[in-house]
Amino acid sequence: MRDSDALENNPHVSRSALEAIHGQVYGWALSRCDFDHATAEDLMQQAYVELLSGSARFDNRSTLRTFVFGVVQNLARSRFRRLSTRLRLVKRYSQESNADAAEAMEPVIDDGVWRAVRALPARQRDIIELVFCRDLTIEQAASVMGVSTGTGRVHYDRAKKALRSRLQDWTEEE
Amino acid sequence: MPMSDETLREQVSRAWQRAADEDHSSFDIVWQAAQERHTASRRRYLRFASVAAVVAAIVVGLNLQVPEEEVSYIEIAELLDSTYWSAPSDVLLPDREFDIYQDMPVLFESTEPAGGALL
Repeated sequence: MRDSDALENNPHVSRSALEAIHGQVYGWALSRCDFDHATAEDLMQQAYVELLSGSARFDNRSTLRTFVFGVVQNLARSRFRRLSTRLRLVKRYSQESNADAAEAMEPVIDDGVWRAVRALPARQRDIIELVFCRDLTIEQAASVMGVSTGTGRVHYDRAKKALRSRLQDWTEEE
Repeated sequence: MPMSDETLREQVSRAWQRAADEDHSSFDIVWQAAQERHTASRRRYLRFASVAAVVAAIVVGLNLQVPEEEVSYIEIAELLDSTYWSAPSDVLLPDREFDIYQDMPVLFESTEPAGGALL
């Protein structure tokens, strides 16, 4: 495939194809950074720069959507690894807690389902989001997360079980 | 009765949409910004590469201008600032040998004639 608007350093990626999946990828970027729009936009820009420069090269081994989701996931991971190192240093030398700042980013939703989703461990939450909200298969979701399909399945099953039991508990409490 | 997969999927998906507020920046804005970042980083790289090339050219040029020192033996006479010469053959002579120029043999001479001739 070589579209007329294909990228110079990434011949299998075209501008129009990226435009078509922009909304979904943006949603994924948003959930990578606790729903902070400025950070999500920065992540998206960075992902597009990677594609423009050819640092992230798409070779048709998966769907473009899965590939770009993976790029965003890796960028977010490396960014937050750096940030968490800095945060650890700041916390070590400062008595002030950053809990207030962290909470400000979380959307305030009084919703049992949302609370149940937020309470899941990160990997389980990721696979649930990718499969339920982004319509990826478990194999694709596992590839985005950088884990094997078997591990992906385990996370998916555990997430579903945990969600069901929590939702059941809350329904009974109400 | 446990919740079916479909119901769970639907509920989670709806909750996610409510929470995420995925009003995203338009593709054109993000794409434009990404292109600017990409162009800026390429420009930075080219600037760095051209500076590195100029520095390398200067270093090579300076190295070419410095005359190369010839490899030669050190003459002791030059070091001592004196004139000194020895024939190469002298070096080959053994240390203590008869030297016809230095050690003249004593010649036996006679003034007595013998049969009209000197001995």
